[in-house]
Order: sequence, then C-alpha cells, then structure tokens
Amino acid sequence: MALRRTLRWWHIPLGVVGGAFVVFWVLVLAGQKTWFSEQPPLQIIADMDDQFRVDPQESSRFFPDRRSFRTPPEHTIPRNGRAYPFGQAELAQAEQAFSQPPFPATPVVLSYGRNRFEAFCSPCHGVDGKGNGPVVQRGFVPPPDLTRPEARAYSDARLFHVISAGQNIMPSYAGKLTESERWAVVYYIRQLQQQAAGTQAALLPHSSQQRQ
Amino acid sequence: MFTPSLDRRIKQVTLWTLGTVLTAAVVTYFGMHNRVTDVGYRPQQPVPFSHKLHVGQLGIKCVYCHAGVERSAHAPVPTVSTCMGCHLVVKAESPRLALVREAYETGKPLEWRRVHKLPDYVHFSHARHIRAGIDCASCHGPVERMGVVSQVAPLSMGWCLDCHRNPEKFIIPAREISGIFTVAQAQGQPEKPTATLAESRPVTAPPYGLWQTPVSAPIAPGIPAPKLPGRGPETCSACHY
Repeated sequence: MALRRTLRWWHIPLGVVGGAFVVFWVLVLAGQKTWFSEQPPLQIIADMDDQFRVDPQESSRFFPDRRSFRTPPEHTIPRNGRAYPFGQAELAQAEQAFSQPPFPATPVVLSYGRNRFEAFCSPCHGVDGKGNGPVVQRGFVPPPDLTRPEARAYSDARLFHVISAGQNIMPSYAGKLTESERWAVVYYIRQLQQQAAGTQAALLPHSSQQRQ
Repeated sequence: MFTPSLDRRIKQVTLWTLGTVLTAAVVTYFGMHNRVTDVGYRPQQPVPFSHKLHVGQLGIKCVYCHAGVERSAHAPVPTVSTCMGCHLVVKAESPRLALVREAYETGKPLEWRRVHKLPDYVHFSHARHIRAGIDCASCHGPVERMGVVSQVAPLSMGWCLDCHRNPEKFIIPAREISGIFTVAQAQGQPEKPTATLAESRPVTAPPYGLWQTPVSAPIAPGIPAPKLPGRGPETCSACHY
C-alpha cells in the first residue's frame, strides 16, 4: 500500500466533513453540549424512573380535573402548625388570641427575621421598611411606611395579623411563612422601627446593596 | 488458509466490522449519557414567565415564589395566587397572563412543564441541601439569567456523587438572590464568600461514607438552624430507600 497518494479534489470536502464529525463528537464526549431542545430527554430504557405514583404537583388522570393536589375538606387542619383562623377584618379577635409571642426575640431570631423580611417583604416594603422596594419602583402601588409612628404604635399581634391575613392589596403570607417565621418577621419589623426612630444603632443589612 | 486474495478480504472485512461496531458502541454509549440527552432541555411553558425579569431585574428571591422549598423535599411551583398577589395590580390586563387569570378565577390548574426530573427511586430533599447553605444555582444554574429555564446539569448519579465526595469543588455557597438563611447570617457575621468546609468535616472518614455534620439547636419552634455544608453521604440508602 503506497503511503503517498494523489490528492484529489473530493478529498477536500471529505476532510471538512470528517473534521467536523470529529470535532462534534469530541465536544459531545467532553460534555460541552450547548444546544437546547424542547423535547423531553430521550430514554432508551426507562428502568423505574417513572413509577406508578403521583409526585407532588404532578397531574393525575385519576381525578377528572387532573389535579393531584386536592383541596382539603372543610375543617381540615395542617399537620405542622395550624391554619390562620382569622379574616382580615377580625383584628380584635386576633389581638386577643395572639397577644403573647410564642418565643423571645433572641439575636438569631432577629437575624432569621431579617432574612425572611428581605426575602418576602422587601420586594414591596424595601429592605428598610419604608415602602420603596424594587417592585414599587417598577410601578406597583407603594405600601405605607412600616417605620412611621402609627405603625410603631401597633401591637405585635396586629403586625402578626396583617402578615397572616393580609391587608388591602397585600395578600396573606400565612401560606408562605410558618407561624414562627411570621413572629420572627414581626420582631425584625420592630427592630427596623427602632432603628428608624434612632433608638438603636444602625444594623448591617444582609443585602449588600439597596436596589435603586 | 484460503487464497491470498480471499485472506486479505477476510482481514479487511473483520477489521472494518470491528471498527464500525466499536465506534457505534462508543458513540451510542456516550451520546446517550445524561449530559447529552438531559442537559439543554428547555420546554416552552404555557405562560411566558421570565426569571430574567423577575429574579434578575426585580431581585425577587427564589424562596419568595418557591416558598416551602426550605421545609420540604419538593421545590413547589408557586401557586397561582402567588402570581396574582402582584398581577392583580401589575399588568392586570396583559394577554400573556390570560392563562394565569383563568386559573385564578376558575381553579383550573396551570399546567407548567417540569424541567428537572430525578428518577422516582431517588429521594432527593431540597430542604436538607438548602439548610446546608447550598445555593440553588449549584444544580439549577444561573436561573436569574434565563428567559426560559433550561436544565444545566445532567442530574445523573455520577454527577450527584461528584459533589457528595468533593463538595468544595462544586458547591456554590448560598447567594443573596436565593434568600437562603445561612450559618453566617445566624451568627450575625457578614457573608463569607466561601463555605468553610474544613470546619464541618470530621477528621477521620466514617464507614460507608456516612459523614455527619454537627447541627445546632433549632432557632425557634419549627425553625431548624442552618448548618455548614459538608461531605454528602455515599451510602446507597442515603438516596435510594
């Protein structure tokens, strides 16, 4: 077999195609796949990847409306904690029922409250509670200043009630925050109020920047 | 054995067949790997929701909508009332939100398409990974930069174990945008950029790769304390039980 062969014209496209093939598979094998697909991942052998059960939030053909998350029957109570029993207007009952916070405001509770506040409240209320969050700056209705004197005079139970039941256009956060988490937020709002009133040294917020 | 020309022919055919079969086997095996088939799955969702806008630009944290991810194994897709919490007011008439409004009014569920799916025989818990301060982006990639969410990690067993064995190489520590409560926050320290893995790792390797991380007392009733990330377990029953 002669080592030296004549180069023919069709060797050039052949080389290009062959080279592209090699580069393609080298990239695939190196895990550098960068293309996207709308098709679900291909499975040659499904093993037991998809078992005969309903995963959380999956659709289910068992029920006519295909919802696997069923609406609980009336008077159902959650296993962990309890449903918030009061409506928005039932402030007086709430103040009576939740007059005593269940645990004291230790530094770690305040720290946790700050984390929850910055995650769940600051989009509207702002990291300082003054009602100037990033969502408000994009045109949402600005909420009232949490650090104003009237709000400072609210009882802990009232703040807890507003978080739990909602107020005006603010929805209830009882589904997002557990009862303990809501109390931690109440404590942190108190701290923000003291801070705004100048009765406590300024805190270092977790958020590295105040969004403008 | 046969005539010289037939001998040569047999050799040629055998070599070519072997080569072809081997190439096909390699290409099929690696071409069917999760990182080829699963990574890059980017389904169109019924509602054109953009994480780029809501997370990247507005700075709404992951846990705001996916609330409950810190408490449960499953990372919940937000309820329609979460969307309508803002969109009753903002862009209330937008045609892009027609399906959301319909779901809100009629109770007919919005059928989002699932992007990340582990096999059903894997018991993955979001709660315990988040509690160790592992950022969402460690597995889900920079979602805050995605207009349409796509899968960035193969979610294969080898990929899981890579991180369980050498977390310091792969973990992205909790970022501000995720809203995860970290040990640094609990101790009132400013955020540290890197996880202090050495502090949480025991000195001698326990049997079966069952690394234990010290866990402090709960912050308050129902609020578990965060912990430092350590090595993940490597025993089979940690994930397959």
